[in-house]
Amino acid sequence: MTVAVVVAVVVIVAVAVAVGLVLRTRTSSDGVDSFRRQIDALSPEARRPTVDQVKNVERPGDDEPEDQ
Amino acid sequence: MARDLAIDLGTANTLVYMKGRGIVLNEPSVIALNRQTGEVLATGREAWQMIGRTPGYIVAVRPLRGGAITDFEITERMIRLLLQRVGVSRFTRPKVVICVPSAITEVERRAVTDAARRAGAADANLIEQPMAAAIGADLPIDEPVGNMVIDIGGGTSETAVISLGGIVALEAVRVGSFDIDAAIQNYVRREHGIAIGERTAEEIKVAIGSADPTHDENQAEVRGRDLMTGLPKTVILTPEEVRSAIEDVVSSIVSSVIRCLSKAPPELSQDFLVRGMYLVGGGGLLRGLAERIERETEVPVRMSNVPLEAVVLGAGHVIEHYEALKGMFMGARR
Repeated sequence: MTVAVVVAVVVIVAVAVAVGLVLRTRTSSDGVDSFRRQIDALSPEARRPTVDQVKNVERPGDDEPEDQ
Repeated sequence: MARDLAIDLGTANTLVYMKGRGIVLNEPSVIALNRQTGEVLATGREAWQMIGRTPGYIVAVRPLRGGAITDFEITERMIRLLLQRVGVSRFTRPKVVICVPSAITEVERRAVTDAARRAGAADANLIEQPMAAAIGADLPIDEPVGNMVIDIGGGTSETAVISLGGIVALEAVRVGSFDIDAAIQNYVRREHGIAIGERTAEEIKVAIGSADPTHDENQAEVRGRDLMTGLPKTVILTPEEVRSAIEDVVSSIVSSVIRCLSKAPPELSQDFLVRGMYLVGGGGLLRGLAERIERETEVPVRMSNVPLEAVVLGAGHVIEHYEALKGMFMGARR
């Protein structure tokens, strides 16, 4: 009975440690991934389609305010 | 299904970028109301044309000053009407990214997001104007190099150093091109004894205003109301007079650029000498301003190809890559 309890506790602790390690690894790699995604999304190639859309913008006339 | 939107809620103009479509609205941030009933009579360009020319029962107002909401209710109504014009209804509630000055307070942030949500947005997030401007001006902010952007708007002037997708140094002053117009109005009233409206002051700024002497300088005829007689009167204004009238405002903007330069880490500072600083925003179009900043900082100043649209284009890019760039929102955990 005592042995069974000790084994169960050891197994629970081992599983908890394993889960903790997996989550910790995943969190740190998530940080790297999300930073990489952000930097990639800010690259000139990624921005090209958005910035190019201004070519279609109609410029305001002389009688309109220019400040922004 | 609503298309998500990016909004540059400027003191002077409001621009809206629709995901997948580009800039769909570019209108002055003005609303005209019936003073007695509170009914909205016009927004945007139509309302702007009414400024200073309305009968007693109509009031045409700019609900934002210094980049901040001065009248929450009117701003909300203006945003709602602008969103309706780009197809937002109670059944189509888009995600919205709004560009705001980086120096706004927590209360002002909440006022902007609440106004957007009440106006029909499903979710509203904020992004700093200089960051959006740097994205829209196509600066290489994804690289570990110093990018400096100066955004001079109607009510605020912000200078930021950006590297690797984040703001490294920032300096903001609640001074912009409306303060230049006000300085011209005050000068003409004080020195020539005539009252002029804010639209006339803006026309003077555009026609002969400058921050530094330029090659082609002409005088301008200014028409207003004589403060003594009450009759219409014309006076001649020279570019030197306008320069001296706006000197305090220009100095304040240049000083904030210098303060930002002094905050930048040395490794990035050296990049500015090679890459220069980029000027965006309508206020940056003031003649001689780039030259003045360049003269006082000894750093090259370049004008963005899209000075008026850079901010909304940057926010539009964030909307296009929402998941990847949501960490750039104000208040997001970095």
